[in-house]
Order: sequence, then C-alpha cells, then structure tokens
Amino acid sequence: MKKFLNLLAKEIKELITLQLFISLLFTIFLFYFIGQMAKSEMKRAMRTQKIAVLDMDASTLSQQLTDSLNMARFQVEKLRGKSKEEAVEWTKASDINLLLVIPPGFGESLSTLELKEMETYSFLRSFSIVGSRTSVILGSVISALNNYISDDFLKKKIPDFSPEKLKKPVRSKDFVIIKGRMAEGSASSIAGFISNQSLFIPIILMMIIIYSSQMVISAIAMEKQNKTLETLLTVPISRTSIVTTKMLASAVVGLISAVIYMFGFSYYMSGFMGDVRQQVASEGLGRVIQELGLAPTANSYLILGISLFLAILCALAMATILGVLAEDYRSAQSLIMPVIFLVMIPYFLSFFSDIKNLSLPVKLFVWAIPFSHPFLTTQNLLLENYTAVFGGIVYMLVFFIFLIAIAARIFSTDRVLTMKLRFRRKKLLL
Amino acid sequence: MDAVLEVEGLKKNYGSLEALKGISFQVKPGEIFALIGPNGAGKTTALRIVATLLSASDGKVTFLGHDLKKEPEKFREKISYLPEEAGAYRNLKGIDYLRFMARFYADSDEKTREFVDRAKSIADLGTRLNEKAGTYSKGMVRKLLLGRALMTRPHLAILDEPTSGLDVINALEVREIIKKFAAEGISVLLSSHNMLEIEFLSDRVALIDKGVILDSGTSSELKEKYRAGNLEEVFRSALR
Ligand SMILES: Nc1ncnc2c1ncn2[C@@H]1O[C@H](COP(=O)(O)OP(=O)(O)O)[C@@H](O)[C@H]1O
Ligand SMILES: [Mg+2]
Repeated sequence: MKKFLNLLAKEIKELITLQLFISLLFTIFLFYFIGQMAKSEMKRAMRTQKIAVLDMDASTLSQQLTDSLNMARFQVEKLRGKSKEEAVEWTKASDINLLLVIPPGFGESLSTLELKEMETYSFLRSFSIVGSRTSVILGSVISALNNYISDDFLKKKIPDFSPEKLKKPVRSKDFVIIKGRMAEGSASSIAGFISNQSLFIPIILMMIIIYSSQMVISAIAMEKQNKTLETLLTVPISRTSIVTTKMLASAVVGLISAVIYMFGFSYYMSGFMGDVRQQVASEGLGRVIQELGLAPTANSYLILGISLFLAILCALAMATILGVLAEDYRSAQSLIMPVIFLVMIPYFLSFFSDIKNLSLPVKLFVWAIPFSHPFLTTQNLLLENYTAVFGGIVYMLVFFIFLIAIAARIFSTDRVLTMKLRFRRKKLLL
Repeated sequence: MDAVLEVEGLKKNYGSLEALKGISFQVKPGEIFALIGPNGAGKTTALRIVATLLSASDGKVTFLGHDLKKEPEKFREKISYLPEEAGAYRNLKGIDYLRFMARFYADSDEKTREFVDRAKSIADLGTRLNEKAGTYSKGMVRKLLLGRALMTRPHLAILDEPTSGLDVINALEVREIIKKFAAEGISVLLSSHNMLEIEFLSDRVALIDKGVILDSGTSSELKEKYRAGNLEEVFRSALR
C-alpha cells in the first residue's frame, strides 16, 4: 500500500504541470470573458432602444402608434419637416438603428381597413444579437397595433360577439402524460425544460472523458518518450499497480480539470440563457414537473453518478491500451482520437435525434459504445425504462473488466515494450 | 561458491528474427561479468530478459536458486537494472526521483534516507540535485541513474552500457564506482561494445555476436588462447 501511494503521488505530480495550469486558466478566462460579453450585450438589448419616427400623416391613428412605441420602451425621436430621404440621411448620421416612416394619409381609410403601408428602415451597424433584437421588438409592436385596430373594428361591426371569440373559436386545454402520470401543461415547454436541464450532463461527461483519457495516454507516452518506463517496470511493484495508479491519477487530475472547466463554462452559458430558475417560476413549470414525477430524486442522481463513473473507467482503460501503442507524446495526441470519436457519436446523436427511432443496426452500434449509456440514462430514468438503465450499467461494467484484463495482460508481457504503431512509416507511404 | 545467476540455453525471437540463439553463462558472487559484442549482437535483449522485462522464447534463468519465470516479483526486489537509454522524470527534482525510487525498496524512512544518501554520493551532482531532472545533461542523468541502480546494494546489478554517452573523465569515474561496489560483494552483469574498457572493468567476459556466445573466460585467458594483445583482437580472431 505504501508503494502504491508512492507511485500514485508521483503520477499526480507528473500530470500537474505548468502547462496544464496555463491551459486551464486560459480556458476559464476565455469562457468568463465571452460570458461577460454576452451578458452585457443582452443587457444592452433590454435597455431602451432609440427609434426615429417620421410622421408625415399626423392623424389620431399615427399619434396612437407613436404613443404605443413609447409604452413599449422605445425612446421615440420625432423628426419634423423632413422628407423621407432627409430622414434616412439624418438617422444614418445618428446612432439610432431604426427609422419608421408613416406615409401621408396613413389613417385616412381606417373605416375600410385599407391602411397605407408604413416603411421601416433598419441600420445594421453590427451583426450582434442587439441588431436583430430591435426588429423583433418592433415586429411585436406592429402586431399589437394590428390586434388593437382589428379588435376595435370587430367590436363596432359585430357588437354581439367578443373579438376574442371571433378570432379564435376553437380553444384547447392541454395535458401531458408521462408513464401514467398526468398534468396540465404544454408538452413543448416541459420537453424544453428537461432538455435544458440535461444539457449539462453530456457536456460534463464529454469533458471528463476527454481530459482524463488524454491524461492517461500522455502519462504512458511520456514514460516511453523520457525512457523511464523500462526502469519502472523492473521496480518491485505489481504491474496491475502501475496500470491502476496511472488510471487513478489521470481520473483525479482529469476530474479536477473538468470541474474547473465546467465552472468557466457555466459562466459562459449563463451569459446566453439567463437564469433557468426564473423561467421555471414564471411559467409555473415547477408544479407540472412535480406532478409528472420529473423532479430528480436522490436515487436517480446516484444511478446517473454510477453510470458516469463507469463510462469514465471504460474510457481510461481504453486510453491505457492506446497509450501502450504510443511511441512518444506526439503520437499519443493522435491516438486519443478514437476515444474522442466514440464519445462524440452518442453526444451528437443525443442532441439531434431520438435513439429509439434509429434503425436496428445503427441502434446496436450506438448501444455497443459504452459511452452512449450515460447519455441515455437521464431520459431513461425519467421515462422509467429501468431495463435500459441497468442493462447499460451491466454492459459498461463487463466492458471495463474486459478492457482492464487486456491492459493488465499487455503490461505483464513483452508487449508493453515491443508494441507500437509506426506513424512515421505510415506517413511516408501516404 | 554457487553462481548468483545462471542462464541456460536462452533463446529470444522477435517475430522471425532470432535475436538470441541459445546462450548460456553464469555470474558468480561479487564478480563483474560482461557481455561484449557489436551493436545488434543481442546484449540488450539478454539483459532485458534477466531484468524480467522480456520473456524468453526458450531456456532457463535461475537467480539464487529461484526460477525467474515463476517468481519475477521476488526477483525484482533483489536486482536493479540500468537500461541502455534511460531517463529520469523531467518534472521531478533529482533528489525527489531518488526518494521516489528508494521507497520501493526500503521498508522504513531510515532505510530510504540511507539509500538516498548513498545514491547522492555516487551521482555526485551537488546542489544540482535540487533542480528538475529535465534540466540535466545526458551525463548527469546517467550518473543519477547509476546512483539509483546501486543505492540499494542489490544482489545483482544489471547495467546495460553503463558508460555510454559519458565523457572520458565521467566514464572513468563510473568504472571506478562499479569496481568499488563489486569489491563490496555486489554481483554485476553488464554489457558493452567498448572492448577496451571491459578489459579494465570486468572479471570475466563473454563474446557475443548475432545471438551466439562465441567464447568466454577472463580477459587474460582469452588473450592467451587467441594469442592477442587486447580483447578487440581476441574478438576478431574468435569471429573467424
Ligand atoms: N523490440 C524489438 N522488436 C524487434 N526486433 C528487435 C527488438 N529489440 C531488438 N531487436 C533486434 O534484436 C537484435 C538484437 O538487438 P539488441 O539486443 O538490442 O542488441 P545489442 O544490445 O547487442 O546492440 C537486433 O537485430 C535488433 O534489431
Ligand atoms: Mg544494446
């Protein structure tokens, strides 16, 4: 045990390098920076926007329109005594991004609902979110105005019916059912909430797997490159200890890196998404989620944790075997690709499609990848597909034991010294 | 006295290449035994098998009466191996490297200190030991590793080209150190392609070429047998 700890301490020391610190700090800084930028952009978009209005009509209706813009938190800049061309030139020279031109005689034919077209001019000064935001707000102002005018019109013409009923005679009350539990709510907002919630799991998993596999591959490759492996293999400690300390050290350092990384990433995401909790409160989603049994329980967290842990072990064992093939640090970097690839497949599949709807051969292929299972676990737990959840866990366990047996075998035979892929020779052939 | 190490009919194939074609030799207590021969003769392969790094295709290796194949872990406690091209962990200070290695052999902190002190005096690197091994020259690394290999006073020290890459002064020092430890009772199995250095260093030599031992004995025996002035001439005559 003492020897084991001695080895473990060295492995961790070897992995924590200045380079690792710098790259971690850099990523966090980058994410923080982008997140802050996004936040301030969002704030700017929410702030009062300036809009220039050239009212060539000056009727009651055009007056009402200008007032409603004021109410929609626009700061209205009224242009007087200018022609359309002059107004465009004037706005261009100012820092206002939107110009609204109300033509002469705009409200004249209100009684027949034949209004003249207004014109809007958007000045795209940058392609950030703020630019698109203004026109979205303007669009909703115009549609509110449309509602106001048409409701008014309907009330006058057909006083016996409310405009509401006239426009939407068919109404619905929406229920969602999940596995025998039912609640009133909209399916799309619940699905949206769940996918928002589970968005982080694949990202965390991917980060940890990639970081720690990279660690273990480099740890073995560095032993080869620095020519320390031969000495280590003649030291009185079991080969299994050598393999497990490398995996353990990589898992620890990989986990820490991933956590630090996630910290930066959450800054980044919060910049774009705002607070999820706010959304839940505002839409009364919390009650619906409770009623449907979608709120995560301690057990579901535990199962998810086990599933994630097994996936990490599988990745580490796989990386250990690949690390033996690496001749030096550089070739280790390319050997990590198969592992990353195997993680990417379920990652993207779980984003863009439902695995249940894939054809059988593709489904089997996805199931054969151990990393697919934790991606599916969240959904399967919510849908109470326990066979799939525990099947996945058993599969990963078997997969891991199999890989570890291979890794230990390689380390206890000649192959750890003689096995290698010859990249250089391959490159000459290409 | 019984041999510390006995090698009998050792064979090793790498795929279709026969690197060792059945070699036999013995290392006696406190003696320096050398395998000498040109590059590619099979010296490293033989030493790696004895050091438990490679498994033999055929033949038997016995160490203090134990079969190497059956009990490699027991064997590892009593030997130390200095690979032909070896390095130290670049991120570890020289002193930390020695401490790390010593802990595998020592059963107490006191013993660890004793081993590290011995290694320090062999490596003779002074205050540079407190710097990371990544900053060392090739010669400094070699001396650090030699210190590591001898600090535990192993029953058998297996040294693959111990003076390779060293300048004349350092090579001389290393040879003196090896001789001193052998005089204290440590058995040494080493390899070299430098036949003149071996003549000074070793008690007995085996001439190896293309995986076969051509002849073996003390250098004076061999010189007399082939009527040669030095081991290089002996080797040339033995090849015919
Ligand atoms: N891992 C290996 N794979 C294939 N051939 C090898 C390997 N190691 C050594 N050889 C070959 O075995 C022969 C003996 O090599 P080696 O024992 O290193 O010789 P020496 O140490 O005497 O220079 C050489 O022909 C060498 O090319
Ligand atoms: Mg050699």
